[in-house]
Amino acid sequence: MKMSKTSKIIIYILLGLVALYFLSPFVYMLFTAFKTEAEAIAYPPKLFPETWHFENFINAWKAQPFGTFFLNSILVTVGTTAGQILSCSLVAYGFARFNFKGKNVLFMILLSTMMIPWDVTMIPQYMEFKMFGWINTLKPLIIPAWFGSAYYIFLMRQFLMGVPRDFEEAARIDGANAFQIYWKIFMPILKPSLILVGVLNMISVWNDYLGPLIFLQDRSKYTLALGLAAFKGVHETQIIPMLCITIIMIIPPIIVFIIAQKYIVEGTSGAIK
Amino acid sequence: MKKKVVAMLILSMAGTMIFGGCGSKEEEGKTKDGKVKVRFASWDEAEDVDAQQEMVDKFNAEHDDIEVVLEAYGGEFDTKISAGMGSGDTPDVMYMWNYPAYADGLEPLDSYIEGEGEDYKSNFYDTLWNYNSIEGEVYGIPIGFTTHALFYNKDIFAEAGIEEPTNDWTWEDLQNASKIITEKCEGKKGFSFQMKPDPYDFEMYLWSNGTAYVDEEGNLEGNLNSDESKEVFEMFQEMEKEGYAVATEKSGTDEFRSGNTAMYIYGSWSINTLKEDGVNFGVVDIPAFSASQDSVSILSSSGISMSKDSKNKEAAWEFIKFWTSEEMNKERIGRELPVLHSVVESEGIMEQPEFKPFYTMLEQSSGYTPASFIIESWSELSENLSLSFERVFNPSTLEDVSDVLDEAVEQ
Amino acid sequence: MNQKKLLKNMTPYLFIMPWIIGFLVFTIGPLIFSLIMSFFDWPLTSDPTFVGFGNYVQMFTKDKQFFKSLVISLKYAAIFVPLNMIIALFLAMLITQPVRGVKVFRTIYYIPTVISGVAVSILWGWILNGDYGVLNYLLSLLGIEGPKWLVDPAWALLAVIIASAFGVGSMMLIFYTDIKNIPIDVYEAAAIDGANPARQFFSITLPIITPTILFNLITSIISSFQQVTLVMLLTGGGPLKSTYFYGLYTYNNAFKHHKLGYASANAWVMFVIILCLTALVFKSSSAWVFYESEAGGAEKKKKKGGKK
Repeated sequence: MKMSKTSKIIIYILLGLVALYFLSPFVYMLFTAFKTEAEAIAYPPKLFPETWHFENFINAWKAQPFGTFFLNSILVTVGTTAGQILSCSLVAYGFARFNFKGKNVLFMILLSTMMIPWDVTMIPQYMEFKMFGWINTLKPLIIPAWFGSAYYIFLMRQFLMGVPRDFEEAARIDGANAFQIYWKIFMPILKPSLILVGVLNMISVWNDYLGPLIFLQDRSKYTLALGLAAFKGVHETQIIPMLCITIIMIIPPIIVFIIAQKYIVEGTSGAIK
Repeated sequence: MKKKVVAMLILSMAGTMIFGGCGSKEEEGKTKDGKVKVRFASWDEAEDVDAQQEMVDKFNAEHDDIEVVLEAYGGEFDTKISAGMGSGDTPDVMYMWNYPAYADGLEPLDSYIEGEGEDYKSNFYDTLWNYNSIEGEVYGIPIGFTTHALFYNKDIFAEAGIEEPTNDWTWEDLQNASKIITEKCEGKKGFSFQMKPDPYDFEMYLWSNGTAYVDEEGNLEGNLNSDESKEVFEMFQEMEKEGYAVATEKSGTDEFRSGNTAMYIYGSWSINTLKEDGVNFGVVDIPAFSASQDSVSILSSSGISMSKDSKNKEAAWEFIKFWTSEEMNKERIGRELPVLHSVVESEGIMEQPEFKPFYTMLEQSSGYTPASFIIESWSELSENLSLSFERVFNPSTLEDVSDVLDEAVEQ
Repeated sequence: MNQKKLLKNMTPYLFIMPWIIGFLVFTIGPLIFSLIMSFFDWPLTSDPTFVGFGNYVQMFTKDKQFFKSLVISLKYAAIFVPLNMIIALFLAMLITQPVRGVKVFRTIYYIPTVISGVAVSILWGWILNGDYGVLNYLLSLLGIEGPKWLVDPAWALLAVIIASAFGVGSMMLIFYTDIKNIPIDVYEAAAIDGANPARQFFSITLPIITPTILFNLITSIISSFQQVTLVMLLTGGGPLKSTYFYGLYTYNNAFKHHKLGYASANAWVMFVIILCLTALVFKSSSAWVFYESEAGGAEKKKKKGGKK
């Protein structure tokens, strides 16, 4: 498949325009982080700061124990991501590749769990975790992920449904059992979607502040997102430090994404379908 | 065979049990080394929390048997406290302002206060107690307050070549100055007010004009839609319509800081930011509706309360006493206005021109009770009022004051 | 032998066991609790009292905001869901193009998804401010007087949609992963047949990714009904309650008005609505979603879109 020069140019123009749309608020945010607060709210707005206040980042980082928060965030993110990938692929495999009694009902229940907003289940959940003695620990944020979340199970199931039936027939003839087929045959070809689940989970856990807000108490347990939210006060918001931490917080997920995108592409060289 | 799967399942189940089991070792209300543990929830934002932590550490160092743990939730404070109360796990000690909403979950403090002797209570500004009580019972000890006052930008007044506002100003003076500023200073507006004011705050203008949202029985009819009340709303709307005042999307602080507006009315919250920015500003009393009538301000008070479910009430009270002491009042200067007569005197607060108007307004405002303390379902009424006010002030509607208020009363 | 058969029958359940355990331990309790609470008056600070169907009756007969918020959320979902999916699919196609440097663009498109919601909403508040906002300033340089985005009810919903469209990255990534899963030889065969790119898209790509389209459709319906954070921070439900989404309505009933029982009732009504919508979508999906694993299966006789 060779592309003509004109279609290439069109693609570049489109890519560029969309990038402009996505990048401009981010770039504005980036430059604002280097300004003084007075400059940031000045009107008419200026793009570049008068002097670059690099110390904004240092001050923001020092304003709260962000080193500790950072470690907690890493712990929660890695802990949940590993759990989600393992449990969701298992469960999704069960739903996608077998026929069994009650499958449709169970699957509908699975979907239903996504439809009740967190506002009203949060308090009973809190009571439950308190019974377990999990309050003020990272456990309520990590352990449930090891039992799968409906969103990723549904996603994985859709990918798995896209794999032809005859795929495992051959393996079954060879005498492999269901678990071996899942582990040895499906896991490798599913690598892109497993990575995808990992990336999606990472973003949402990394930025989640409601969970940590409710289940944590001591500041030594806080995550980055919760620390970030604390810059917003009841009356005034400390916007510059907030932007600085936001920007610092973008870096780890972006690095992970850059590494991950290689695998999303690579995994497909295997012949599915 | 399936062994691996089974093993994995058993493992994960066992994991749950173990996690579940070992977490609850720590006895409730105690720390590991046997001290009494007191949870203290604060709403302060990041920068102030470090200063708070230091003071908490100081308290802990002075007490062998108590350990206070600071929990800082910033702007999410309310969500956290609601969740805590709903699930019966409220922090032992917490900051508090919305007493009507939370009083049922708080410990009445009168008996504790009595135990400290008469002088303890009388050292606080008297008006503050009303704002920290429900039906005559005290639920929180004041730690700070703010009234509202008129902020003005001295540079803009100089640019327009007119006299700066004084404590004797009436709204007419403010309007005249606004007109001149808007005409003479390109791109600047004389005055700003909130397009969607918090109904709790806005009631002060009604008070200043001799009315209120409700009477003592909580009736809106004849109060919210009284002529005096309508006069207030019409005045603000008129300023906006004529173009020398702007209705701001948020508090108006940003517009004032960036020098786009010359005056606005707000609490003491923004003093620090304005100082940091180097804005050349002054503060005076809120303008009055007539020369013969003092203006009145709403009081936003913060107090410190105890959960009624606390297991360590004595230790909690010990900490509350420390947190409301003279020493702590001095410590908080710059973040909160001191609430003790003795501290205001010893620190010469009244000699500082940016603080004085807030105390004048405090004195002028005693004896008024906000509708939120009178009406049971205030939070819902407040939401409805907020919508009504927005209909009056939103430039894309600017609805007729009389119609809107009459309608609001009927609801 | 019998034992082996039993084990074989058990296999699927073993696979889904982690979820079943998680559901029983973490999910079902709180769900039932909230359902029960929807029949109580629970002011949060004191004990709940039983009110039967009182909460539901009040919602449907007295509370005007209930219908208003429902309509706003339906309107939002009706615009946002298809729009978001089309944009996501378009972007996913764009970043699969085999041109140099496309990796960089992929990362750029992904950045907005990673930025924490709190700061984003504040930033959008600045950009969209009617009098002093960046967007209207830029427009004014072009001689256009921009609308008062967050003040004029006619524009506010659009402003929320624009701001939420920045989160399109996740969906884009899901489509992208799926498209990347299509083996190249399928396209090559089509190219030999003389199919142009548009034909290729509609007759090859689209049918193959229908399972993920179904996924994105259902999850974005759910999330658009539950949208809270963005509107809470960006518009607070205003101006004039024009963006007072159902999710925000529920949230405020729970945490602002402290009517937890009522909020539970709100949530369960929303649950029924979403459930019906989802069931409808699923019902229709047998006509337009194509699962490779069911291809040629005797139980599905219908001929599905132009596959291979």
